[in-house]
Amino acid sequence: MATNNGAQFNRHPEPTFSSDQLVFTSDEKSAMQGYLEMYPEPEGAIMRGLWLAQEKFGFLPPEVIRLVADELGIPYARAYGVATFYTQYFKQKKGTYVLDVCTCFSCQVCGGYDILHYLEDKLGIKAGETSEDGLFTIQEAECLGACGSAPMLQITNGRYVHNLTESKVDSLVSDLKDGKMPAFESVTLPQDETEMGGNRRDDVESLEYYKTPPVAETFE
Amino acid sequence: MATVTIDNKQYEFEGRPLLLQFCTDRGIEIPHFCYHPSMSVPANCRQCLVKAGTPAVDRATRQPKLDEEGNPVIQYFPKLMTSCSMEITDGMVVHTHRSSELVERAQKDNLEFLLVNHPLDCPICDQAGHCPLQIQAYKYGPEGSRFEFEKVHKPKHIKLGPRVMLDGERCINCTRCTRFTAEVSGSHQLTIIERGVNNFPMTPPGVEFDEPYSMNVIDICPVGALTSIDFRFKARIWEMSSAPSITATNAKGSNCFYWVKNNEVLKITARQNTEVNDYWLPDEDREGYQRFNDDRPHGPSGKTDGGMRPMSWEESYAAAVDVLETADPARVLFVGSPHATVEDNYLLSKLAGHLGADTPVYLEHTVPGSGDNWLITDDKTPNASGCERLGFNAADVPLLRSKIQAGGYDVIYVLEDDPVSSGLFDSNVDAKVILHYYNTTNATLAAASVAFPAAMIVETVGTYVNVDGHAQRVRPAKAVKGVNRTLQMEMGKSRLDQHGTPFDKWYDETKLVDCKPGWEIIPEVAKGLGLELSYRGPKQIMEEVSTALPSFTGATYESMGLVGVRLSDTPTLV
Repeated sequence: MATNNGAQFNRHPEPTFSSDQLVFTSDEKSAMQGYLEMYPEPEGAIMRGLWLAQEKFGFLPPEVIRLVADELGIPYARAYGVATFYTQYFKQKKGTYVLDVCTCFSCQVCGGYDILHYLEDKLGIKAGETSEDGLFTIQEAECLGACGSAPMLQITNGRYVHNLTESKVDSLVSDLKDGKMPAFESVTLPQDETEMGGNRRDDVESLEYYKTPPVAETFE
Repeated sequence: MATVTIDNKQYEFEGRPLLLQFCTDRGIEIPHFCYHPSMSVPANCRQCLVKAGTPAVDRATRQPKLDEEGNPVIQYFPKLMTSCSMEITDGMVVHTHRSSELVERAQKDNLEFLLVNHPLDCPICDQAGHCPLQIQAYKYGPEGSRFEFEKVHKPKHIKLGPRVMLDGERCINCTRCTRFTAEVSGSHQLTIIERGVNNFPMTPPGVEFDEPYSMNVIDICPVGALTSIDFRFKARIWEMSSAPSITATNAKGSNCFYWVKNNEVLKITARQNTEVNDYWLPDEDREGYQRFNDDRPHGPSGKTDGGMRPMSWEESYAAAVDVLETADPARVLFVGSPHATVEDNYLLSKLAGHLGADTPVYLEHTVPGSGDNWLITDDKTPNASGCERLGFNAADVPLLRSKIQAGGYDVIYVLEDDPVSSGLFDSNVDAKVILHYYNTTNATLAAASVAFPAAMIVETVGTYVNVDGHAQRVRPAKAVKGVNRTLQMEMGKSRLDQHGTPFDKWYDETKLVDCKPGWEIIPEVAKGLGLELSYRGPKQIMEEVSTALPSFTGATYESMGLVGVRLSDTPTLV
């Protein structure tokens, strides 16, 4: 992480957006007002507010975080602390597709790092970096709650890609280059086989079944 | 009365006190980092774990369950509880590390976790020696670490603002500093950023941590993550002595410790007094301690035919007596001082009374609008309130100036102030000036006929009355020439003072300022004028003041102690 290096730690970065760009439309303002009404304290609305801003601006540089804090009437420092806590809020400009490769316990055991390093070599960038064409950003993520289908990754805070293999990564990257987002996969767990007729969801057809995950090359 | 059993001993309690505070108040130590009595309780350091349980109640009968011997059955909480956030209830049974091996083990393990990414650079850390993490790791922690891997690296020596330095690696994320800015000072300049092992306190981008109370986070930081930029690497805590006293920067008289090494004040930290400043001290009170060390005079001086020359103390007393005894009392102006103690001002008023001169006046030093209704006042002197209670009036500077310019006074006796800087008269004034002064930068020195170096607030014993009428004692932190630190019983001593000798390398005799407090100088001058002011010291003077003047009733040294006495609001009567 860039912030981990004291020498490079920049406390006062140059703003990305000009003050003309830093405005919310009346629709967005009323949405913010709605968030405020949802919670007993204004602080409660911060996560929705930041999300709205990220959708609008693409990422959250400090000036955008300040804008959100001012709009919600909460301290800027508080909003900044929340924004830096969650990896899903992008503090820097990212690629079109942000690939969050899970390397937490279960995925690590099942080859999360193998996949991460394969992806790094394939795209020629390190975790935390963005490819030159601005298409891909690789990030190392903590548990994304899909341990049953480890190893897995998430694309730009959205779709999960389960049971990763190298060939699956190959096809994923080429699909994304063509602008094709992988289809939603509902992954069943062993207990679902009997209890829920093999499918947790009744709104999707595409199903991938539980498999015994592979063991990581690096894991002993 | 509701009772709680802590380590098999019963205590009575009222209301719903928090367990950690309750134990701390009774001297039962429970290790902790994040808890601070004047801020919210996040319970995030997990160090104050205890085993606690409440009497079990039979669900059917709603009666307490009893065992065969008739004692209530205690139902323990399934996990250890953080004592800082747990309210005590009637019949609760608590086991600290003293009576529970589980708790002892939990505290030890917790400390091992806290130390996993702590750099353990105590030998170069300013906090070492008074570091809660160091002390508690030593008392309650494991003997070694099992963590054999590279520690997480975070930003180090980052200037958060003009006065506070951050070492992110030392931080244990207790959030005391961020809670201080959010709940106490309200500046909201700090937040914890990042997550997990990477987190540390930081200002948001574009914000400097420059609020007027920023240095309090240094006091409350339980590790060496936040240190003073000014004080960094100047002295180790055990090399210094600390004296409990009050600050002289403004009229609030916030309680503080003066930290002294080799007779120089090196830093000022907050001292708790719920009546005055709670746990806090404004930055302006902590800065400017250099005036106690730098530009200090060495011995008295007096004007002779050849200009100013150094004098012995006896000579200077005689010179002052010469000036005063020939003067017409109606043409002598006594200027008291809101910088000086009540005792010194009282002696000055007795001297004025003896000569038949008017009651002294004092010079106001206010900066309108600089106060904040908390610990910073408009008045930049510590004792204007004391002067008022002694019956002194604030000088009407323009009026008095024109009278002095018209030759209305032959002698002006100035106690510990700088009337030339205040514009009361010019340095070429015709009247003879007797001056008690602190620093050689004093502009009135040029006008003085006799100049007495005066002991400052860190060198004297005395009483100050703050803006709210709170009378407080000051204690000497620095020795002056002729005072032996080990004989002056009230003076704080460092380890070096107690166990070193004057021949040690750290000891430097030139740092002893040759000055005297007003309560030594004024009686000597008075003696030459036929007034016996033979007090055994400021304590006796204050006893007389507290009985003679209704505005000081109750302000004896015994009753003031370390926290002071709130004086009644009786109008000043002299």
